[in-house]
Amino acid sequence: MENGSCNETFNVFLALHRPLSIHSNRSTCLFLNMDGVILGADTRATEGPIVADKNCEKIHYMAPNIYCCGAGTAADTEAVTDMVSSQLKLHRYHTGRESRVVTSLTLLKSHLFSYQGHVSAALVLGGVDVTGPHLHTIYPHGSTDTLPYATMGSGSLAAMAMFESKYREGMSKDEGIKLVAEAILSGVFNDLGSGSNVDICVITKGNTEYLRNHLSPNPRTYPQKGYSFSKKTEVLLTKITPLREIVQVIEGGEAMEE
Amino acid sequence: MENASVDVNQPHSMGTTIIGVTYNGGVVLAADSRTSTGMYVANRASDKITQLTDNVYVCRSGSAADSQIVSDYVRYFLHQHTIQLGQPATVKVAANLARLLSYNNKDRLQTGLIVGGWDKYEGGKIYGIPLGGTVLEQPFAIGGSGSTYLYGFFDQAWKEGMTQEEAEKLVVTAVSLAIARDGASGGVVRTVTINKDGATRKFYPCDSLQLWHEELEPVNSLLDVMSASSPVPMVS
Amino acid sequence: MSIFEYNGSALVAMVGKNCFAIASDRRFGVQLQTIATDFQRIYKIHEKLFIGLSGLATDTQTLHQRLMFRHKLYELREDRDMKPETFASLVSAMLYEKRLVTSICSLTVFGPYLCQPVIAGLGDDDKPFICTMDSIGAKELAKDFVVSGTASESLYGACEAMYKPDMGPEELFETISQALLSSVDRDCLSGWGGHVYVVTPTEVTERILKGRMD
Repeated sequence: MENGSCNETFNVFLALHRPLSIHSNRSTCLFLNMDGVILGADTRATEGPIVADKNCEKIHYMAPNIYCCGAGTAADTEAVTDMVSSQLKLHRYHTGRESRVVTSLTLLKSHLFSYQGHVSAALVLGGVDVTGPHLHTIYPHGSTDTLPYATMGSGSLAAMAMFESKYREGMSKDEGIKLVAEAILSGVFNDLGSGSNVDICVITKGNTEYLRNHLSPNPRTYPQKGYSFSKKTEVLLTKITPLREIVQVIEGGEAMEE
Repeated sequence: MENASVDVNQPHSMGTTIIGVTYNGGVVLAADSRTSTGMYVANRASDKITQLTDNVYVCRSGSAADSQIVSDYVRYFLHQHTIQLGQPATVKVAANLARLLSYNNKDRLQTGLIVGGWDKYEGGKIYGIPLGGTVLEQPFAIGGSGSTYLYGFFDQAWKEGMTQEEAEKLVVTAVSLAIARDGASGGVVRTVTINKDGATRKFYPCDSLQLWHEELEPVNSLLDVMSASSPVPMVS
Repeated sequence: MSIFEYNGSALVAMVGKNCFAIASDRRFGVQLQTIATDFQRIYKIHEKLFIGLSGLATDTQTLHQRLMFRHKLYELREDRDMKPETFASLVSAMLYEKRLVTSICSLTVFGPYLCQPVIAGLGDDDKPFICTMDSIGAKELAKDFVVSGTASESLYGACEAMYKPDMGPEELFETISQALLSSVDRDCLSGWGGHVYVVTPTEVTERILKGRMD
């Protein structure tokens, strides 16, 4: 198996890095009556043609009122969102105010731009701040877009098709969740790089709901009993090391005298 | 990667049509709204006319990331300059800052800009800043992949001392012509008119644009056609 | 051939009821030539925390030395062992440090450590923790089993079929050993027996497995 032909080209550099795992992800968002944002993602991580993780988390925390879906190289999306979320926290301590979505956007895009696309993180950033709900997409080269609905990752075409046909302005929260879930499902079933479950994150003013595994359309359908082995493994040598007892400290004993 | 045409990790580029035109009393800037990654339209409603100050705007083309970073820096410098000067920056200053950034980093940037605006000293001005970082003060400037289809049109249709209405009509016609011919341009037409009274944005949805050549009338949605009681066959 | 396949390796960790097992093959080779048949790929960090490193053996050993160093410093500063979760974050951070190729005067080109770790440990409340990473530190947490190395593809299949939840230490040992041995038999670059650690809250059992010698 040579450097995996994953549906997302991530071998931007280091073609020798077979095990870069990739998140194929579509993340989406809608404005609900202009007062909230919904993010969604599937939960498959791949390494070339291998499903590396069947239930990973692709919706990353940025701030209590801001979350971010990541597609591209898993290590990069994780590292870049963690780094920016720590910068945001320090900024909140500094200013004593809620983080803004544009602040996260600027921090993310300037980091990605400075690495000229070598940090392959394709992100959908969503949140609600003092200026209202916001949705942005950020590409690995550092360009950004502002949209009422957006998709990213290998399943983005399938998901965008759902949005383009069914998105309406001013949808309710439940309609929004339904549409985002439907868009993710179209990726799960039509795109090989996406799969497993649907994660949803709903952000409204003053409230965030993270619906981990909102839908699980792909459970194991066969009984999992495991095997019973007729022939035991041949063991050449066994070494058993007992672990030290954990010493319990009993309080209230008499103090030792000098 | 066999399917590089829809690869999201390809640089985001704006195969674009952008125009800046001076008229009697100000300038009009115009742009289409398509941003693409390879063959995929990543954004069909993007805004390529970016505000720098109250009286200066810029049309961006080329790499989306590069043009955004350049215009962000120019805006930052212009705000600083406005505070130090105590009065609005001139269009020439804005163009010169954009030029400095484009020229000093020309080995790393893939972006062509058209800076346009109005100031009390020189009135409406258009500056074209193509790839290498030159500035050209021009009566009109066109840029992006769609501009190749427009040179002849502008040589014929542009007149000295047009009115605002004439100028706006000219740029909308020009962008719609380029949209019809250039696959990398599309969506809607956005314009910004800047004169002594300030800046005004206008928006022309695709169904309001004139049709050229053998173009078909836009239909609201393919789904509407297909679910109609007597569907019209797509190919007759 | 990928540099990850230069020495050959097979690693797997499984979770049981209040226990875990981590196993590796024992071969060390240079491409198809076998050099040693008693190679250690699993390292003990402390009594209840193990790390297996697959991939290029030289980077494996360097990384292990740096990890031991960092863990000893942590012990001195904090006067306690590292939690498995903390250790996984440490490994991830150390790998991501070397994410990007940096060239100075077009001479020094530094890439990541060419190995894929598997971490397994028991937490404070004796809750088992397993995790794997790619060579640039993208953590993958799993509830059941994790695999890595040149035999990872067959290990995925074997574990997916043989694993069942809440196994006791004996059954867990049998399952992980059978999964390992049957997987390495379909991989030219790993094999020559196995090395299995089964860790329960009270004891660590280390076993050497007999396997095919071809």
